[in-house]
Amino acid sequence: MIPEAVEAAVSRVVSPDELRLALESTIPAEEREEVLELVRWFTSRYASNEARLAYVRQAVARWQRARTKNIS
Amino acid sequence: MEASHFDERSFFSTVHGSGVRALLIGRRALVLLGLPLLTADYDYWIAIDDIERFNALAAAFHLHPTRTAADARRHDRYVLENDEHVDVLVARSVPTLHGLPVDFEGLWTRRQTVDVGTVPVCIPSLDDLILTKQIASRPKDLEDVRLLRILKESRR
Repeated sequence: MIPEAVEAAVSRVVSPDELRLALESTIPAEEREEVLELVRWFTSRYASNEARLAYVRQAVARWQRARTKNIS
Repeated sequence: MEASHFDERSFFSTVHGSGVRALLIGRRALVLLGLPLLTADYDYWIAIDDIERFNALAAAFHLHPTRTAADARRHDRYVLENDEHVDVLVARSVPTLHGLPVDFEGLWTRRQTVDVGTVPVCIPSLDDLILTKQIASRPKDLEDVRLLRILKESRR
């Protein structure tokens, strides 16, 4: 898939039905537990809001560097 | 790799100290709620009357507006940028995909405050974050809606 197509796919506006589904559908217990486990990991590994924001900045910087490296 | 030298905490502190009514929205707000998400940008929704003051404080961080304040008021949004990218929404009200109005004043009234170090940062309530995700309504916003619903249910 070319980057433009990826961009179009992630930037599209979803349909009203897709939105309704996201708002109203029952979330499976397995999905709920998986997300809460991730939250537990994140908030214990990075114990403060400051640490969590720093993690995000560093992870994005790593991703951007890897992307630049792959393009060049 | 090092992140850029943008002093995030100092920026939050300056925003808070300025008295500008500014809500951090978008994925960084979700990170402050404990969700491990990546985002390169900052998203703010500020009071339409506070654009000039917000731009003035941003200038101290070498962040430059893409529109004049008057233009931003006409277009409802603008960007502050250098090597950082701050999307700024200034509309008084924006509809969700389903046509539900989302008003800044309501969000501001119901806001919650989280601490980054010793600096208070204002973000919308959980319910209002779910609403803001219904404005752009892209696939990733729907993913975030599900995450926020799970977080909300876990706090009951």
